[in-house]
Amino acid sequence: MLKNVTIGQYYPVDSIIHRLDPRTKIVGTLLYIVSLFLFRTFSGFIVVGTVFAGILILSKVPFRYLLRGLKPILFILVFTMICNFFLADGEVLWQWKFLKLTKEGIQRGFFMGIRLALLVFGTSIMTYTTTPNSLTDGLERLMSPLRVIHFPVHELAMMMSIALRFIPILAEEAQRISKAQMARGADMESGGLIRRAKAMVPILIPLLISSFRRAFDLATAMEARCYHGGKGRTKMKPLRYGLRDLFGYLFLACYMTTIILLRMFRNI
Amino acid sequence: MLPVVTENLVHDYVTRDEEGNAAEAKRALDHVNLEVEEGQFIVVLGANGSGKSTLAKHINALLLPSEGRVLTCNMDTADDDFLWEIRRNAGMVFQNPDNQIVASVVEEDVGFGPENLGVPTEEILTRVAQSLAAVGMEKYRESSPNKLSGGQKQRVAIAGILAMQPKCILLDEPTAMLDPSGRKDVLETLVCLNKEKGITVILITHYMEEVINADRVFVMNAGRIVMQGTPREIFARSEELRQYRLEVPQVTELALMLANRGIPMPASVLTPEEFAEEYRKLAGVSSENDPAPALSEKPSERNDEPILSLRDVSYVYGEKTAYRTVAVDKVNLDIFRGEYIGLIGHTGSGKSTLIQMLNGLEQASSGTVLFDGEDIFGEGYDRRKLRSNVGLVFQYPDHQLFETTILRDVCFGPRNQGLTEEEAKERAAWALRLVGVDESRWQASPLELSGGQKRRVAIAGVLAMKPQVLVLDEPTAGLDPAGRDEILAEIDRIRRETGMTVILVSHRMEDVARYADRLIVINDGQIRFAAPPREVFRHREELTDIGLEVPQVTQVMQILAADGIVPPSDAIIPEEAAEILAACVK
Repeated sequence: MLKNVTIGQYYPVDSIIHRLDPRTKIVGTLLYIVSLFLFRTFSGFIVVGTVFAGILILSKVPFRYLLRGLKPILFILVFTMICNFFLADGEVLWQWKFLKLTKEGIQRGFFMGIRLALLVFGTSIMTYTTTPNSLTDGLERLMSPLRVIHFPVHELAMMMSIALRFIPILAEEAQRISKAQMARGADMESGGLIRRAKAMVPILIPLLISSFRRAFDLATAMEARCYHGGKGRTKMKPLRYGLRDLFGYLFLACYMTTIILLRMFRNI
Repeated sequence: MLPVVTENLVHDYVTRDEEGNAAEAKRALDHVNLEVEEGQFIVVLGANGSGKSTLAKHINALLLPSEGRVLTCNMDTADDDFLWEIRRNAGMVFQNPDNQIVASVVEEDVGFGPENLGVPTEEILTRVAQSLAAVGMEKYRESSPNKLSGGQKQRVAIAGILAMQPKCILLDEPTAMLDPSGRKDVLETLVCLNKEKGITVILITHYMEEVINADRVFVMNAGRIVMQGTPREIFARSEELRQYRLEVPQVTELALMLANRGIPMPASVLTPEEFAEEYRKLAGVSSENDPAPALSEKPSERNDEPILSLRDVSYVYGEKTAYRTVAVDKVNLDIFRGEYIGLIGHTGSGKSTLIQMLNGLEQASSGTVLFDGEDIFGEGYDRRKLRSNVGLVFQYPDHQLFETTILRDVCFGPRNQGLTEEEAKERAAWALRLVGVDESRWQASPLELSGGQKRRVAIAGVLAMKPQVLVLDEPTAGLDPAGRDEILAEIDRIRRETGMTVILVSHRMEDVARYADRLIVINDGQIRFAAPPREVFRHREELTDIGLEVPQVTQVMQILAADGIVPPSDAIIPEEAAEILAACVK
């Protein structure tokens, strides 16, 4: 049932994008998303698309992996496109009662569709090239200024990394528990919604109890290893910007400037 | 400097009522006085609930004394200023390997302690490399802990402690959840750390095999230290140990049996080799013509009609991926009605997958499984009904207990069979009586029970469906010696009373030698042996090759027979071995 749960979708190869500091990648992805919403014509896609293709080649992630990432949002994508097809005013190509297909509508539908796809592609490149742990590290460092307003940055990051470690363990345990109950004749495959929900109780209760026990054990073990919050803690693998990150940021600056200038003077 | 001293240490677990007033106090430690010398290998023995884990938590300052005091490396644990220094100096490893590994990469987990201590980055990296090398896990530096075996995870946990450069390592039943090979690896690692690095080791356990390496043993019972001495001194007092729900190694027991017959065997032999050595002094060489002694065969309940049959059954994980693994490889097997089968194999041998195919929880990739001659994956076959006929009890009772009372929990199976509330209760009552859970406890919550009692309720939960075949996956894992023997005797009694077919999965040969009609040894997904225990144990070398050991009694008899001191025999339990050995003393 939960056998195939994987957290993150790291694609383990060595590339310049993989080696970038996670902070560079997070900032880059955010700026990339902003840039997608800056322009209003198809010609903008040429700029963004070229840059995106370049990064994809550098990252050595196969394109079909990106397409796979599109699957879960396929419905939203198609839905957005169809809505746009029929809901825009303009030159009517085809009409049936109140539904009318317009030329502008088709244009806008494709425009929105491509924008959404590029958005998903961009974020996928980040998750394909960065392990969940270094993403957590990157977020912790980027958010560290928030500590001034007593935002628990370190605690949040620690929680995230512990969750990453325990999700596969709990998923496996859930599977074992459901087998133990099925061996006692529990029926989880038939019946209506309510019956199925009720059939989950014998699985959820042992799972919950076990999670509490694990949490308690882990807290004791962490205390025994002198964990006392983020204060006075050093890092085994501190994040350090390298030369390539400098290039990364310079490139991002050029990219954003180009997009903004194009938007202002050529109105793309 | 003494690494650990406790002076009149008392610990009370206080239960509070809703207003926060102390309602009940349970004394877990009762005036414990203990002194550990530097560089020693200490073992604290005790049955479940004897207070040994509580003691460990005091040494690490995870608990504070109700009375008395604890000095860890000359620091009073009650003094808050020393807290982190104490925990750094006396690192602690816990029972469950999964619940103490914090990071998703091995090296990051080992670095967790030094990070907390504020050690500079460069030094953390050196310490991590050294610690992983010390436990022999440097190859796995970048692996995910989820991909490691239990024994490997425990070694990572030990490395995580070493990286804090402690003087002393405390281990709270670190091997209770491991298989024999994992247990051996962990123990060897500890002995090596103790001998080569001079680190004081305090090992808490109820496995007697782990005591042999100790410089000093403390035995705990009901919160008190009741015995202390060297392993030999302790094992010479086997009657006393039995009172504390512990045991002695099988050879020591055998020596004692001979001593009780008036044969002057020293009561302190610890290994089969030592036993053979001592025995040689007593016995002459037997003549070639001595007939092989007759051993009584236990009457078998089995009849010739197979109840479960496997025909060319294979199970493949991750077909068509890079992770393709053959868990079960073309297995052919008949299990007969009324048989008691011991299924033996180490972790990863395919035994778990095999038993899950017997009740249709897993579907064979190829081949057929027949129950009563019918293909269980044939069209329209009722597999839920099959599961009540082939009852499977999984290893951890915590995975199945969920109801508010024991009685209701045991009713879960019968109710799923479609029985009325009345009938289900009747069945549950029958099953609970059969496993020996007292009626006064039936309304208690199953979560409040001790390990052995939980195990019984879990077995009752399956028995209540009145299965024809009862499959038990390591029903004695984690229990202390007395608890283990009680469960095994209980299962044997249930079988005799109901005539059920029993399949007991275990990796302890001693568990199955006494009761099973037939042993099935599985390795790499294939059946290596399927024969009565006496026959299987003749293949000692082949068994050793696949990481399994024959019982110590068998080892002794084989050594002595090879020397021509006793006639060759297939003795596999202490009583029959004692009989033969007594007869051979001139």
